[in-house]
Amino acid sequence: MDQEMRDKLSELVEELTTSGEPQLNQAKMKEVKKICKLSNDYIDHFYHLVMTQLNQDHAEVRFSAFQMAAELFSRSHHFRALLVTNLQEFLELTVETDVEQPLPPPKEVARKLKTQAIQTVQAWQTTYGEAYKKLALGYHFLKQVKKVDFQDVEARTLAERRRREEKQQRLERIYKGKLEKAKQEMEEMASEIEDSLTEMNNCMTLIMPDTFNFFSQELTAVSETSTEVSLQDTDVCDEQPCCSKDLNKEGGRMAGATKGDEEEEDSSAESDTEEGVDKDVFIRSSGLMSHTYRLDLKVSSDLNVKETEENEAVVNTMRDLHRLISSRYLPAIQSWIQVFTKVGVEEQLMRRATDLKKSLEMVLRKHDELHIDYKARQRRVLKAGEEDDDDFEEVPEKEGYEPHIPEHLRAEYGLDPISSPSTSVAELKPSKPVERPIAPPMPSTLGRLKSRRYEEELDPTCAAATLRILKEKVATATCTSVSGGSPEPATSCSSEQTEEKEKAPVVSFGLDLYYWGEEQPTAGKIIKNISQHQFWVPHEVEEEVENEELSAQMKSRYITFAGRFQPVEHKCKAPLPNGSLCERQDRVKCPFHGLIIPRDEIGRPVNPEDAARLEKEEYKRREEQPDWRDPELMREIEAATGEDLGSSKTYGKGKKAGKGKGKKRKHPNLTDLKQTANTSRSRLEKKVFNKSSMKRIAAVMNKMDTRKHEKFANQFNYALK
Amino acid sequence: MLSFLTARQTGLDDPVRLRRAESTRRVLSLELNHDRDVERIHGNGVNCIDIEVIEGRYMLSGGSDGVIVIYDLENCSKKSHYTCKAVCTVGRSNCHVHKFSVETVQWYPYDTGIFVSSSFDKSMKVWDTETLKPADVFEFDGNVYCHHMSPIARKHNLIAVGTKDPKVQLCDLKSGSRIHILQGHRGEILSVQWSPRYEHILATASADGRVRMWDVRRAAGSLFTLDQYNGDKSKASSEAVNTAHNGRVNGLRFTDDGLYLLTTGTDDRMRLWNSATGHNTLVNYGKVVNESRKGVKFTVSRGCSPEFAFVPCGSSVTVYSLYTGKLVTTLRGHYNNVDCCEFHPDYQELYSGGKDCNILAWVPVLRQPDVEDEGKRGGDQAAVNPAFEDAWSSDED
Repeated sequence: MDQEMRDKLSELVEELTTSGEPQLNQAKMKEVKKICKLSNDYIDHFYHLVMTQLNQDHAEVRFSAFQMAAELFSRSHHFRALLVTNLQEFLELTVETDVEQPLPPPKEVARKLKTQAIQTVQAWQTTYGEAYKKLALGYHFLKQVKKVDFQDVEARTLAERRRREEKQQRLERIYKGKLEKAKQEMEEMASEIEDSLTEMNNCMTLIMPDTFNFFSQELTAVSETSTEVSLQDTDVCDEQPCCSKDLNKEGGRMAGATKGDEEEEDSSAESDTEEGVDKDVFIRSSGLMSHTYRLDLKVSSDLNVKETEENEAVVNTMRDLHRLISSRYLPAIQSWIQVFTKVGVEEQLMRRATDLKKSLEMVLRKHDELHIDYKARQRRVLKAGEEDDDDFEEVPEKEGYEPHIPEHLRAEYGLDPISSPSTSVAELKPSKPVERPIAPPMPSTLGRLKSRRYEEELDPTCAAATLRILKEKVATATCTSVSGGSPEPATSCSSEQTEEKEKAPVVSFGLDLYYWGEEQPTAGKIIKNISQHQFWVPHEVEEEVENEELSAQMKSRYITFAGRFQPVEHKCKAPLPNGSLCERQDRVKCPFHGLIIPRDEIGRPVNPEDAARLEKEEYKRREEQPDWRDPELMREIEAATGEDLGSSKTYGKGKKAGKGKGKKRKHPNLTDLKQTANTSRSRLEKKVFNKSSMKRIAAVMNKMDTRKHEKFANQFNYALK
Repeated sequence: MLSFLTARQTGLDDPVRLRRAESTRRVLSLELNHDRDVERIHGNGVNCIDIEVIEGRYMLSGGSDGVIVIYDLENCSKKSHYTCKAVCTVGRSNCHVHKFSVETVQWYPYDTGIFVSSSFDKSMKVWDTETLKPADVFEFDGNVYCHHMSPIARKHNLIAVGTKDPKVQLCDLKSGSRIHILQGHRGEILSVQWSPRYEHILATASADGRVRMWDVRRAAGSLFTLDQYNGDKSKASSEAVNTAHNGRVNGLRFTDDGLYLLTTGTDDRMRLWNSATGHNTLVNYGKVVNESRKGVKFTVSRGCSPEFAFVPCGSSVTVYSLYTGKLVTTLRGHYNNVDCCEFHPDYQELYSGGKDCNILAWVPVLRQPDVEDEGKRGGDQAAVNPAFEDAWSSDED
């Protein structure tokens, strides 16, 4: 036995089994077979290799190994003998005969392996079962003890089949219940539905008669309009073409330039006139333009039924019925039909349901064709609302002042109609001392009304009187309290200064304004008591001290000038990892990208010195490892999540990469079994069973526990411990 | 072989010697033979088998579903291929069938007209083979794990029965009653065995880890208890004093001459004892995997010069050299746990039954004719069965 060949064989087997593909590489397999053909020793070696691979805890490896074994099984007697002596183990590893040794993940491949293995064993049995006793025994074992049904393509075991049957039965039971329910419902509702159907039909026939004549007329009209009818001039002799047309016709024969106008109306007529000259005589004599006319009648093609007083009741019923059918009966029937089709019931029931559905749908279509105009009803609803308003009118009138009066009621209250409700509110507020020109130009026709209102104002019970009093009050207040109000109302009396007024700033009232233009003799003067004694008073009584600060305060005013807010125009524009630019609009410094510097449209700094500085910073940042990226922790997280966070990168000089992660996976083609499924459960688990959180919770619970057993936990000085 | 024959012819050798040498050779060449099948009757695991000693022709087997089958082992067809037919069956339709798993079956040593079976349905039945009806039924309080009739007894007709009860029961076939109780064990009795040398000597093995030897004539107590440490108290912990195994003892077997006793226990050990003195011979068999909660029916060869022990071990039967403890070979053929095996002393065949419902016959391979050379033999074999041919396709060249 050649060592080189042997090694090559091992290598080939390793490669083939770790390819992770559902089919073997034929070229490599051929090579394997070539080597195995040389001698039984190679087959021995191959057998051991395959068995070791079959023992691997990876379904893909096993599957490939199984395929190789199957290939060689059909070739070599020696291999058959070897495999058959150890068929128990082989079956355990491929067909899952031992319940304590389930096939390894991934699941789909394992299932495939099992199915294929069972099929292969059967094929082996038919060809080699006679010759190899253990094979036959194994086959019988699978068939009789494990109850594998070899005819079943899915190769389910007995338990699986039973489970399936149970499921089927359960489903059937559920369907049966549903069916019974649907049947019962149908029994109950069928008569109801039929009733409403007949009712609906009756309603329609009731509505139809007054529209029927029109309907039939329309039908003929439509047929007329749809086709171009060439009319003989005798038929349309009563039509009177206008003289201008006559003129045009003559002109049209002379000069084609004028035809353009005519063509729009009547193109076929034009051509006709040009063709037959002898007919023209007839046309001319009859005063017609042509032999053929196209008559376009515009008749609205759809039937419209207007709700009127007479048919109101009928239409209402129909409307209700329509709603009932479309919202209740149809969905119900739909669901029954669904249930029936799923369960598969007798034809009669099914037909009945479909018939019901059909008739309902037909009625609905008919109803739609009627195009019943329900607008009248909607208006009626509005009317009802108005009636409600009338009810409100019966409420006894309120006396005295009413702050807000709706605009349309102002006339009733004897008030001026105003432009907007907001101004009226503002105006009526007595606290606001703004005086505005309230009275808009009154139309002359309202003069009588005005006089009447004057009378009303005399009546103290009326709202108008109250308002008048209020107005007067406000007017006097604004005029008298000049010093108390802001400068604007103070100057409002003099209309000449309005321009200046507008320029003047509005400031809050203060001491300086209180003493505006007056010289205050006492300003800033303080009477100072030298003696602090309560009863003993020295002879020279009071000494006045002038306080500069205080006196200045009396005359001066602080106005803080904050400047005006200027929105930031520029953006940070630093390039982001996703390719876009930073959109932040900070004034000076972006919290993520530092000082904001001018950049071009792709995010590069415009000034070269800025660029150099940034580069330096970047280099520095890379150099030092951020302390939150603790490599140990990162590796743990990576192990848990299966994602590469880059812990293997070295940041510091002295740090070494993690030993496990640095290595590439051994067989990149195989499905990674360690990769945890990214399910909601696993994600939650990651959070909940996190080491630190578990520790924290345990600590808290322990603390609570110890508290419980302490003697003086309820006393604060013990509790604080 | 030839030298043996000439030595025998010239009278240099004892006749036994040739027989022993040949039977040893045959035992060593046991394998699963394609030519010998046993009919599949059992729908469940086979718990116990027994071959009668008078003719060596009929085999009893008890299944875990209560079915008892009698097979005819004799090949009268004069063809190499033979399937052992079931002569008669106590099937589920039989009204006397055991309700639960049959644990032990045994032929009456002097007549195939009677056999005895005991079951987990707390009964032991004495059957009439002709009518397949129980001649007598013994009812017990607990599951019957085992029973045994003395193969050589002429002065008594006792069946020792081991049940869940720690007392060993002795049933007399003459009177049809339970006549005796042997007290001493503290656990359920998993195995009982009469000595093939002295008809009154009985060995019992129990779940308390002890093996006791009794003389049924002296009912006051056991003769002695087998001690794995041979009385060396310093080695034993206090509770392990006088125990044969550290776990349950679930297998007992005297050698054919009755001089030695072989025991197995759930401590995965097998021990060989001097049955006369109760001395542990300290033969090391290595690890004998044994996880059975019931009795293990293993067997010992007969008539070979070094005797062999056949022990069910997982899904295979392991063959040990009895006196050296050497593992000779492993017979792999069952697809599930093997429960019992029985040695046929006349033909040196081994029958084993397992949970995979099979009874497998392990038959010695016939000696190949020496004159033919290797190449021709291979061709011959292929000619016999086309399935043995290699089928390399030509494109692999």
